[in-house]
Amino acid sequence: MSLKKDIIWRVGLIYITFFIAGLAILGRVFYLQVVEGEKWSVKEQNLNLKDFIIQPNRGNIYDSENRVLATSVPFYEIRMDLRSNALTSDVFNKGIDELSLQLSRLFGDKTPGQYKNELVTARRKGERYHLLKRRVTYTQLKKLKSFPIFQLGRYKGGFIYAQDNRRILPHKGLTARTIGYTTKNNSGNIVGIEGAYDYWLKGVIGVRLMQKLSGNVWMPVNDKNEVEPRDGQDIITTLDINIQDVAHQALLKQLLIHNAHHGTVVLMEVQTGEVRAIVNLEKDKKGNYREIYNYAIGESTEPGSTFKLPSLMVALEDGFIELGDSIDTGNGEVRFYDKTIRDSHKGGYGVITVKEVFENSSNVGVSKLIDKYYKGRETDFINRLYSMNLNQKLGLEIRGEGVPEIKYPGDPLWSGISLPMMSHGYEIRMTPMQILSFYNAVANNGKMIKPKFVKEIRSHGKLIKKFPTVVINPSIVSSRTINDAKIILEGVIENGTARNLKNDLYKIAGKTGTAQIANKNKGYGGYHNVQYQASFVGYFPADRPRYSCIVVVNAPSNSVYYGNLVAGPVFKEIADKVYATNLDLQKNQLLANNEKHTPPFSKNGSWEDLQIILRQMDMDSEVSGTVEDWVITASTDSTINIRNLLIQEKLVPNVVEMGLKDAVFLLENAGMKVIVRGWGKVRSQSIPPGSVISSGMRIVLEMSFG
Amino acid sequence: MEERINKLFKGDKIIWGVIVLLTIFSLLAVYSSTGTLAYKKMGGNTTYYLIRHGVILAIGIFIIFITHLVPYRYYFRLSYLFLFLSILLLALTLVLGTSLNQAARWLTLPGLGFTIQPSDFAKLALIMYLARLLSLKQGKIRNMNEALTPLILPIVLVCALILPSNLSTALIVFATSMIVLFIGRIPFKFLLVFGGIGLLVLVLFIGGAILLDREGRIGTWKNRIENFVQGDSGENYQVEQAKIAVATGGFFGKKPGKSTQRNFLPYPYSDFIFAIIIEEYGLILGAIPLVLAYLILLYRGGYMVQRANRTFPAFLAIGLTLLIVFQAFINMAVAVSLFPVTGQTLPFVSMGGSSLLFTSVAFGIMLSVSRGIEKDLANDKQQVN
Repeated sequence: MSLKKDIIWRVGLIYITFFIAGLAILGRVFYLQVVEGEKWSVKEQNLNLKDFIIQPNRGNIYDSENRVLATSVPFYEIRMDLRSNALTSDVFNKGIDELSLQLSRLFGDKTPGQYKNELVTARRKGERYHLLKRRVTYTQLKKLKSFPIFQLGRYKGGFIYAQDNRRILPHKGLTARTIGYTTKNNSGNIVGIEGAYDYWLKGVIGVRLMQKLSGNVWMPVNDKNEVEPRDGQDIITTLDINIQDVAHQALLKQLLIHNAHHGTVVLMEVQTGEVRAIVNLEKDKKGNYREIYNYAIGESTEPGSTFKLPSLMVALEDGFIELGDSIDTGNGEVRFYDKTIRDSHKGGYGVITVKEVFENSSNVGVSKLIDKYYKGRETDFINRLYSMNLNQKLGLEIRGEGVPEIKYPGDPLWSGISLPMMSHGYEIRMTPMQILSFYNAVANNGKMIKPKFVKEIRSHGKLIKKFPTVVINPSIVSSRTINDAKIILEGVIENGTARNLKNDLYKIAGKTGTAQIANKNKGYGGYHNVQYQASFVGYFPADRPRYSCIVVVNAPSNSVYYGNLVAGPVFKEIADKVYATNLDLQKNQLLANNEKHTPPFSKNGSWEDLQIILRQMDMDSEVSGTVEDWVITASTDSTINIRNLLIQEKLVPNVVEMGLKDAVFLLENAGMKVIVRGWGKVRSQSIPPGSVISSGMRIVLEMSFG
Repeated sequence: MEERINKLFKGDKIIWGVIVLLTIFSLLAVYSSTGTLAYKKMGGNTTYYLIRHGVILAIGIFIIFITHLVPYRYYFRLSYLFLFLSILLLALTLVLGTSLNQAARWLTLPGLGFTIQPSDFAKLALIMYLARLLSLKQGKIRNMNEALTPLILPIVLVCALILPSNLSTALIVFATSMIVLFIGRIPFKFLLVFGGIGLLVLVLFIGGAILLDREGRIGTWKNRIENFVQGDSGENYQVEQAKIAVATGGFFGKKPGKSTQRNFLPYPYSDFIFAIIIEEYGLILGAIPLVLAYLILLYRGGYMVQRANRTFPAFLAIGLTLLIVFQAFINMAVAVSLFPVTGQTLPFVSMGGSSLLFTSVAFGIMLSVSRGIEKDLANDKQQVN
């Protein structure tokens, strides 16, 4: 038995060895779990879990009629990893010619040779993130994915793309500056409504915890996102893109004519302060006018003659003057210390009333009046201006509002000529928006309203927040003064400097302004440093003010620079458009013209539809005989005659003189195939009425107007 | 009932128990860890691999059943033929073998579309051959020409044929053979010399390989060994992932099917299945039962040696047990990063047809031997009486 024993101790030895190995394995497991457990579980988290950001959709910006002003559209950036491990020379060389050709065809910006050269060079240099094209649309992306090499995907084809949402303004340049923009990482630079209402527009960034699977696939850990993304809310502005368009074109035309540096237009609703249109155009380096800077909001300049209104209103309110009082403007020159103030009218106006001073925009008259009553008590004058909120910012949500500057007696810059200079709009700085708000207050019977750009915030059409009209000052002056102000403002158009704006349809009230202003950097001085600023500010219709509007054109370098000729036409064009499109403004006009009318032409067709229209338009009609579903019409001088149109089953109906809608309905319901040529009403039909219909029969309709 | 089971499933009941335990672990772990594979290859049909593996396991158990009914003396007789066949197949594979993972290890059976690793077969054949020869030569075990040369030559030949395509299997076969020779009473100093020569050949082989370029298998070995030697600093991806799996599993695991590392570990269903089992079932419910199962298997092998009154069944039983248990321990040591990554499967647990089917054959022969030993004992008793 020694043989068996010899074998058994050997087996025992082996068994013990394995037993120890087993203990070692279990010990190792214990060691990894207990001693290094922490380390590995941290590593697990880091390696496998990652928070993914889900970008919410930014809200849209709409005009007051829900037309889109700004929206986000996905674009793609196309890059190529030319040294992807899986992109072999074989694949690259085989596909490069065809790929270059397709790229060239798709983008049309480079020849196939150029593309090939670019890619071959990039591959030689070992570029792993070669930029091929920015701003690629989704349709283009889909095509790119089917191109040779690219169709192999990220690793084998080196095809990389990243989505990049871009803001699109469907109306291009229209009110672009006021719509504004935000920079990608919100690094300070925020402009316009996009910037001011970013809080609402941006939405809430979502977070999703994802776990990595092999093959670089990421899978959500939980059913729900850790933070649900919330889309941004929509901003409904007060703007009207149609009026904006008119204002834009009108201003552009004047800027081009006068080769101006820049110009701005704001149209505002009197009672609500809702801004309907705001245009800012500036000549860029290439000589094109673009929305570059928000002059209406941001630029404080010396307003010039338009400031004569508050000056005279101060004196009227204090009871020093009345509209009928006379003042001697002499030969059109008056001297205060070393400064001579002149009227633009050579030879002066002589003795004229206060009303005429304003209508003719007499610098001499205004400055003499104010100097006469406020010399020695300048603080009263300034305090009254302050009480009309002229020295305060409007507090607009859009950033960058210019600060109004109206200095106070005792200020270091106050001098002997400050009072007469300020009285006609110099040594003062205000923005167009601030001037407009003041005139708007006059139109609104003294109630000063804060201009408003945004009326509502909506989310998927649901109202989230409504912005009320903000009253800055319920009554800037007494109603007597307001009435006087209105009278002289109307006088400017009736008898004064803006007679060229007068028209039969509606009345305009307003004031021209022609300021000689200091160049931003160089101050007053030499010929080239003086800029002219032509402006017109006012409201319409004068008897029942609905809209106020300001037009400012800066530095017209051609010889004509009067406010009435440069800024006035822009005002008039906008006012005409608004008047034409607002039927309620024309009510009186319509009633007056409503006395006689001839019945309009009406097409043959559905009797039911026709009845609705006739009822709506309050038209008389005369029905002869019994009438079924379809009728023939004939207009006479006083009425519309209606006769029955017989439609018989299986026979081709007579559709001549019908609209296409009714004709197609009848014919296709009868089983015919309609081919249409031209526009308008049906002139002729290829198969005469009364023919027998066979299924699928083709009938050609010739259409035309008249 | 019990009688019927005893009638049907003969041999060592404890080995049968180990087989059942391994089958359960295998089904659970393979189902859990083939998710990624299912998504990659089967369009997300996760039951595909469960069913396929279940079928293979069933076939395996069927094979065990059949082979355990064959009296072990047939294996004695067939061993020469098997060795001859396996050497032929190995040579054939080396020339023709389908290249998988850059190693010509596989042979596609014509017509069946089924691939086998001839090395799996060769391991078995070699052990059977050694058991036979050792039992025959016990009388002149120290004789160089009579015993040693016929024992050593087939070992060298089989290992040399496996070596180019699968270094770790060659090593395991060599080491297992050495242990079997040791148990078979081959003088220790001879084993030392032979083992030393084997080691020298290995060093020369690896040295030569490293001097050549990194492509192919040689690159893979080199990387694996370098990664292991360099330890923490240069720890490679799979080792790190395996450690995370083991460490985060804890004592009781993350619960079945909750493994996260199965998504990161390459071959979580074969090479690293032990790590996945620990991750899901923990040290107590996963690692200890498995280690214990293989140790019990080895113990039962030893028990058979003790019971046997003939040498061939004793050597055959312990040889086959060692073959399975040694490979299992290597796999588990790799999974807990005690050993460089090798690519050995966990016998009867990992997914993979070839390995599992030949392991089944080994189990079947073991059971046949255990059955035979008891029968021999009964016969001997009768004769004495």
